[in-house]
Amino acid sequence: MALIDVVNLSKAFGPKVVLSNVNLQVEEGESLVVLGGSGTGKTVLLRNIMGLLTPDAGHVSVDGKIIAQLSREDLFKVRQSIGMCFQMAALFDSMTVFENVAFGLRRHRDHTESEINARVEECLSLVGMRGTEHLKPAELSGGMKRRVGFARAIALKPKILLFDEPTTGLDPVMTDVIGRVILDLKHELGVTTITITHDLTSAFEIADRIALLFRGECIACQPPPEFKVNPNPVVQQFLRGDADGPFLQDPPPPKRKPKETQA
Amino acid sequence: MVLAFFDTLGSTFLRAMDTTGDFAVCSGRAFAAIFRRPFDGKNLMRQFQAVGINSIPVVVLTSLAVSMVFAVQLAFGFRQFQAEGLASQVEGLAIVRELAPVITGLMLSGRIGSAMAAELGTMQVTEQIDALECLATDPIHYLFVPRLLATAIMVPLLTAFSIYVGYWGGYLILVGVEGQSAFVYGHQFYTLLAFRDVRIALIKAFVFGMIIALVGCWKGYRTQGGAEGVGNAPTSSVVTSSLWILIADFFLTKLLLV
Repeated sequence: MALIDVVNLSKAFGPKVVLSNVNLQVEEGESLVVLGGSGTGKTVLLRNIMGLLTPDAGHVSVDGKIIAQLSREDLFKVRQSIGMCFQMAALFDSMTVFENVAFGLRRHRDHTESEINARVEECLSLVGMRGTEHLKPAELSGGMKRRVGFARAIALKPKILLFDEPTTGLDPVMTDVIGRVILDLKHELGVTTITITHDLTSAFEIADRIALLFRGECIACQPPPEFKVNPNPVVQQFLRGDADGPFLQDPPPPKRKPKETQA
Repeated sequence: MVLAFFDTLGSTFLRAMDTTGDFAVCSGRAFAAIFRRPFDGKNLMRQFQAVGINSIPVVVLTSLAVSMVFAVQLAFGFRQFQAEGLASQVEGLAIVRELAPVITGLMLSGRIGSAMAAELGTMQVTEQIDALECLATDPIHYLFVPRLLATAIMVPLLTAFSIYVGYWGGYLILVGVEGQSAFVYGHQFYTLLAFRDVRIALIKAFVFGMIIALVGCWKGYRTQGGAEGVGNAPTSSVVTSSLWILIADFFLTKLLLV
């Protein structure tokens, strides 16, 4: 049985249908990368998995438990086994890096202060952020915030890690750093991951399978080599990064010719 | 035309019921979460500091100003029919029964309620509240409860302090300026008062404290729409909690004075 099972998931906000009959299965230890244009429901998918949103139809089950049917206490127990890394890190800005990473440990584990110190240091080392314990989130760069967010997410030793656009808005070098950190976490912790990204290079590095969401539906979910040669024109257009094709609902502005040709 | 009117009326009514229901549910969850573990003493102490200690200057200044103005008005009014001695008695009655709890409540709704709405609103739009949920932490328990406890305890204490400051505000005007005897002022300030009046003042302050925290936290928790939403939350919180403080004051006065 799949560790994460998304069955016929549909979600709409008012008249706007964001997800429509999405089906995805993620096996234990597997790394799924979800691609898709902006506004195609990738984050909504993660929020349904975390139980932050309730599906309109269908369901999400994690480890055999249907998320929308759990009591709040049971939902919190399931959430302790999932680490969520937010797009903008969502660090608690009134706390230091140390307090952010130690937050879950303090609330859910009966650790002594020295055990907490050791675990926080271990988590920060895994993401290359040792020595920043006393800094506040406002003192960190975007990439550093994301990595502290990763450290906070792994502190409770989750079985599943969800990454919501971890490289958006970062420079190419930092994008590569974040990609490497995700790979390290995957290999060292052996966790099941779902990563939402627009960065195709890191997507092909991280993924065991790649899914593409298009207009609320999952139109492909394959291992990277097969995904690359998928004949679907939407997949090929997305891989090319070309504005012309069936991907956009509204036609893009016409392509300007280079100056030499015009002359 | 008629249908459109009833459509608007109906949807406004439904929206109002929805909002009221949501506030009631959030408040109920906050009360239910008070005794739930884990108990976050550090967070509670931080709220005591923010609500109580940091509000002392505001309470001192407003209580002093209001009690002094009231004393000036009373001295002037009672002088019209040679009853200056009554000024200190009415001053005591007004400060203890109404001015101290209401002024403290209104000032704290501006200082504390708005800060709570802004803080939680910012946390909401920056996904920090979602992060709490993902870390298996109930935001109502973690955010509402310490603020609710801090205001419910600190607003009555600040009201008691406001009564004390109000006494000296009246003293400054009636004894220092109007030339009344200090002994007579000290004695007559309490003449019309009974212990029940202090109890009523503290009960009012307790209720006002809960209104401030619940409205402030709820407005912040339900913030939507980025910077604009965060900007609106404190204003809306102050207006709503001030209104409810005044409404609650009327009903508490009617109820407790019987």
